[in-house]
Amino acid sequence: MMPWWETLGLLFGILTLLLLVGLPAGFAFLAINLVGAVIFLGGEAGLMQVVRNGVASITNFSLTPIPFFVLMGEVLFHTGVAMKAIDAFDNLIWRMPGRLSVIAVVAGTVFSAISGSTVATTALLGGLLLPQMLARGYSPRMAMGPIMAIGGVDMLIPPSALTVLLGSLAGISISGLLVAGVVPGILLSVLFLGWIVGRCILDPTLAPTFEHQQVSGWARWRPLVVYVTPLVFIFVIVILSMTAGWATPTESAAVGAAATVLVAAAYRAMTVRALAKSLMGTAAISGVILFIIIGATTFSQILSFSGATNGLVGLVQGAGLSQWVVLLGMMGILLVLGCFVDQVSMMLITLPFFMPLVQHYGWDPLWFGVMFLICMQLGLLTPPFGMLLFTMRSVAPKEIPTSEIFAAVMPYVLFGIVMLFLVMLFPGLATCLPSVLLGK
Amino acid sequence: MKAWSRLMQACGAASATILGLVTMAVVWDVLARNLGARSLPWIVEATEYALPLATFLAAPWLMFRYEHVRLDLLATKLSKPALMRVERVTAAICMVVSLVIAWYAVRVILDTRQIGALVIKSLIFPEWWLFLPVPVCFVLLALECARRLVFPPPPTGSISDAGLPVPGEAADAVESAR
Repeated sequence: MMPWWETLGLLFGILTLLLLVGLPAGFAFLAINLVGAVIFLGGEAGLMQVVRNGVASITNFSLTPIPFFVLMGEVLFHTGVAMKAIDAFDNLIWRMPGRLSVIAVVAGTVFSAISGSTVATTALLGGLLLPQMLARGYSPRMAMGPIMAIGGVDMLIPPSALTVLLGSLAGISISGLLVAGVVPGILLSVLFLGWIVGRCILDPTLAPTFEHQQVSGWARWRPLVVYVTPLVFIFVIVILSMTAGWATPTESAAVGAAATVLVAAAYRAMTVRALAKSLMGTAAISGVILFIIIGATTFSQILSFSGATNGLVGLVQGAGLSQWVVLLGMMGILLVLGCFVDQVSMMLITLPFFMPLVQHYGWDPLWFGVMFLICMQLGLLTPPFGMLLFTMRSVAPKEIPTSEIFAAVMPYVLFGIVMLFLVMLFPGLATCLPSVLLGK
Repeated sequence: MKAWSRLMQACGAASATILGLVTMAVVWDVLARNLGARSLPWIVEATEYALPLATFLAAPWLMFRYEHVRLDLLATKLSKPALMRVERVTAAICMVVSLVIAWYAVRVILDTRQIGALVIKSLIFPEWWLFLPVPVCFVLLALECARRLVFPPPPTGSISDAGLPVPGEAADAVESAR
């Protein structure tokens, strides 16, 4: 038997190599599982176990909210209801410095509360607001930064497909984790707004003001009542049915998806074509996430059977480090990983080592889970491989260099790190709301 | 080629339909339970089985559309011919992985069938039914990889010019926004 550090080096070495040559993440995990099964799980029997585990990994009721949450966002975007909501904010916010950037953050926060899909939020806001901002002479950084940043907040504000996955893989209460992200998510949005308005007051050339056709009275508020209130209502239904015990988190996600379809139908926007596109989009996004999960159980079994998990966890426990140093180390690893690999792979790689340490140090899993989510959110925004940077690249004009997109997002990455430290130092930010609403 | 494309589309459509049906079934169950009507105890369980079925059906379609998440670090660094060679290598690795999994999935099906294992929950059925979609999915994946070995994809096949495919929703959302 190999010493655990050699095993660990071998497994992660092959995994890194496979990911670097561009193997899809799901296949990289399956390939490493096949190698690991032959060496550590008893050859043929192990290979058959890979198949059994693969089916078992995704035959799990706690994962079902993923497609439901994704469906909510897809319906919202494909029926055009999301655009009506942006128009409503457009009517409402007048003389604010950096008006369109502010609209991006406010609309993005509301979409986060309905959509379980981060990329869709960024793509929509980028496709819709960015051309307007650039045409009005906004500096590209002021235009692109908020749109990408708010897409990342989507992960913290429920419903969020990746939060469900984290809860399921880490064995943390899914409803607790969904509710725990609300306060840090909203705080981050407020921080972003403060930064945008402050910057635009200090340097008005960043976002020149322009004549906007103003409406007053009922005409100003009507779109908000008609197009935004129902969206907030859907969010309330999802959270309430979960916290009041009417439905499990999975069921409340399905209820939320059905409510979104009904709201879209009430606006006469729910065509067969829009429904078909929404469902196909849902199948694609959920399929991408769940295909990577097929390798999850076997991967953690191999790490465990080979002694790598116990070896590394034992090394950390026995090193006599302060728990703060360990925690900072874990967050550091997540932030570095986030620059290179996708969120699902981040969970698969780290959770087998992190959760035993969480248990060992007696940390509140919800507190740890929210910090994990913030790190994953930052991973969406950090170069070179942040998914939202690529989404922005795909919607931004070709003249804007990629380096400008990276620079635009940087202040918001710093705010994310500040929020990470705030949650670390004041766990109540994450744990208060779940304890009030769910008694957790 | 057209038939293959249609088959892949059909896989995606089947996966989407399953997810739509599951949504309706779960909502029905919640309403029935809370409104005092007769709820069906097998719905939760059926939903559980639908998830792998939808995933295994979607996987070949996603592969066909280059939508599986991957790091394309090399896409920006290598020349086009070199990149084509790397694409061939990754297609070959994916094909081998798919064939091995398909083979062992068949072995698992034959094994569980032979010992007559049953799943006994709300629904009772032979356990091997659960594994049936696996070889189908991975054989289709292997065929798609073989197709890429013969006809490697253009290096800028995705909507992101740096090479990391962004799920199709981005393009769709932008399109509907415009």
